[in-house]
Amino acid sequence: MNPEEFFSKETNTWCPGCPNFGILASVKGALAELATEGSISVKDTALAAGIGCHGKIFDYVNLNGFNGLHGRVLPVCLGMKLGNPNLTVVGFGGDGDTFDEGVSHFVHACRYNANMTMMVHVNQVFALTTGQANAITEKGFVDGSTPLGQGEKPINSVLLALELGATFVARGYALQGPHLKEIMKRAILHKGFSYIDILQPCIVYHKHSVPYLNKNTYKLDEAHNISDFNQAIEKAREWDYSYEKDAKVPIGVFYETERPTFESQWPQLKTPWHAIDRKINWDNITREFK
Amino acid sequence: MAIHKVCDTECCTLFLFAKKGDNIEISYIMEKTILIGGEAGLGAAVTSHFIGKTFTNLGYYVFNYRDYPSLIRGGHNFNILKISDKPVYSHEYKYDFILALDQKTIDFHKKDLNKGGFAFGPKETDPIVQKLQGPKILANNVLIGLLFKYFGVDLNILFAAAEKTFGKNADMVKKSMQEGYQLGSEKEKLKKFKSRCFISGTEGMGIGAIAAGIDVYLAYPMTPASPLLHFLAKRQLENNILVFQPENEIAVINAALGASFAGAKAMVGTSGGGFALMAEGLSLAAMTELPLVVYLGQRPAPATGLATHTGQGDLKFALNAGHGEFLRVVLAPGDAQEAISRTQEAFYLSSKYRIPVIILGDKHLAESNYTFNDIEKSSLAANRFILENPPQNYKSYKITENGVSPRAVPGQGPIVLANSYEHNDYGHTIEDPVWAVKMQDKRFKKLNYLKKEIDKLNPVSLYGKGSNLLISHGSTKGAILDALPQLKGFRFLQISYLKPFPAEMVAKEIKKSKKVILVENDARGALADVIREETGIAIENKVLRYDGRPFTPDFLIDKIKKSK
Repeated sequence: MNPEEFFSKETNTWCPGCPNFGILASVKGALAELATEGSISVKDTALAAGIGCHGKIFDYVNLNGFNGLHGRVLPVCLGMKLGNPNLTVVGFGGDGDTFDEGVSHFVHACRYNANMTMMVHVNQVFALTTGQANAITEKGFVDGSTPLGQGEKPINSVLLALELGATFVARGYALQGPHLKEIMKRAILHKGFSYIDILQPCIVYHKHSVPYLNKNTYKLDEAHNISDFNQAIEKAREWDYSYEKDAKVPIGVFYETERPTFESQWPQLKTPWHAIDRKINWDNITREFK
Repeated sequence: MAIHKVCDTECCTLFLFAKKGDNIEISYIMEKTILIGGEAGLGAAVTSHFIGKTFTNLGYYVFNYRDYPSLIRGGHNFNILKISDKPVYSHEYKYDFILALDQKTIDFHKKDLNKGGFAFGPKETDPIVQKLQGPKILANNVLIGLLFKYFGVDLNILFAAAEKTFGKNADMVKKSMQEGYQLGSEKEKLKKFKSRCFISGTEGMGIGAIAAGIDVYLAYPMTPASPLLHFLAKRQLENNILVFQPENEIAVINAALGASFAGAKAMVGTSGGGFALMAEGLSLAAMTELPLVVYLGQRPAPATGLATHTGQGDLKFALNAGHGEFLRVVLAPGDAQEAISRTQEAFYLSSKYRIPVIILGDKHLAESNYTFNDIEKSSLAANRFILENPPQNYKSYKITENGVSPRAVPGQGPIVLANSYEHNDYGHTIEDPVWAVKMQDKRFKKLNYLKKEIDKLNPVSLYGKGSNLLISHGSTKGAILDALPQLKGFRFLQISYLKPFPAEMVAKEIKKSKKVILVENDARGALADVIREETGIAIENKVLRYDGRPFTPDFLIDKIKKSK
């Protein structure tokens, strides 16, 4: 399958040169390759997106999709799995979307371990509302809402996902497309909740991250044992999302493990509900009240 | 408009078809009110249900009211059972029996004991529980034995009921019933009639949801909606449905919409505070045109309010919650039987018109038990309204004559979209003014079709005869029906569909009435505002109650007789 089969004729309104284009290309590539390999069925694949620059991806990938509310991508994804366990579900969130407005859902998504993938576009600002600081923005960042400078340290979302029990935790870089595509493929194939922290430096409101990330990112290689939780934590701590001094920024798969999926706790959740032709036995459901 | 049968027994048809000025004398063979109380955890609710169920099995009509504070152990819980050989839909605060699981219950309620009434409590039960060396909870069964001896009910009937309720290991239970039975004395000999059904509003909603073909129920615990969560969760395997409690109400409604998008019949349940959290999601349901049924079990607010009590203060909230202008249905069942059929209607309308439907209930409806001769379901089809073979050029928001786009779901083949942004017919985000108007018009086109459909579902019901009119909605129905025979010249208009509002039907009834009184379980009489908005008619006369307690017939009769 050709990635361009996911082409959507919608006009793309991301800023020229936005790293989101890299994420878009990687997604299309990953889905096309998985479909070619027979690992996914495109008609049984659905995406969900939140609100923010990232959310526009809903219009740019021609695929079943749900563009929901700001911060609520994860419950929508979870609902899709409850509604049809056969769906391959891929969620896209912004960092403000996921770690400010919707952080409670992220905490629980890591616990639940539903078989789905969450890709968060980490640009460290609320870009579509003109660049306010968010939960991943580094301390000291100055913007329209925070003229005195962001007062708090950012959330390390990779560390958070690990601590909360996500069974697949990775980081990609939007400007390293082929590498990101491979991570996406592994995340989608992983059975359980997969989280990818995608560094997507905003070229308008958070320009300084581009040269920094170009200089400091490095790929985790075979020396990193993805089944070693402590090693994953160590790697996650190498960079704290700040820009004061150069630090190594690892990209790649940090951790992968297995745990029963969320869906498996319901023996009745086997087929899409809409395919079930229900026969209601009125006597059975009313007997206890007679 | 439907002139409803109140029930199918003589007494109700009597006042339905009575001519103006007729003097109806209703002589009751049997009518008793029983209070069962004690600290939380002592078993008052279980005992009350047991007694009620036993009486309905004997063919009597029972209404069971629960009153309890927001705590798990201690405090003072009580249930009131009204038992009659004629239909009964409400309780009262005058008792023929007080069955007390602690002394406090007797001290609190003794003043309301009728002349010749009985109060049984620790004085009677303690020695027996000690003698049996059983747990304190056996006091319940001693009281049950005492009570049924009074009515001359055969002990074996109690034993059979005990085994049914408490299982085969009910030996101690039966023993303590027997001890209580021996302690009591027979004063009446109850006749046995054909067994009747005993069911709560919550159970009605659960049955209605299952009958309507629910697939997924999601809810975060909140009184008084939690009992429905428990009801459906307990029965999920045998009915092949899925019940889950997500992390909060925001997750609940968004996950329900995700499930609906994927093709499931989804329902959520909550009370006012949780519904407030769902408001943005309700708007999302409307924009994405995904079917969703929302159960809003009201309790008094603002904020946490009176957590375990009842009220109807969320009417306007249900009618208006969510940002933007969009269609919704709000319906209010008046009793457990209506809870079944209205819940079926909720699923039917939501699935067919792809709109959110809110079932407006309250604690009084949810947690009271009602008696019916039989339980009936609505004849509406439990259709999924999903295309069997959607075309390859499928458009999720196709513009059609009635505004309803035929529904497909992911997995069927064509691409299916749901979008919270304004969108074109395919589902892609748009900002241009022409599409914006087209889509808003498309969604509102459904209204006329919806109204016609609702006209056939008895959106209002009229009870009794008279030139004066009582108007209400929801759970107040019970007390009003029980008061009506004593309110000469009054008939009662129950409004079951609050949105779309049956304005013409309501206006017609108001216009032909001399005196019009609004009855509502809230502080301001919100329904009067709704009627004025929808019909232009102002109702000045209101009988309201907002102490967290439901109406009783005595309260209503007193207030209505005093009204101008």
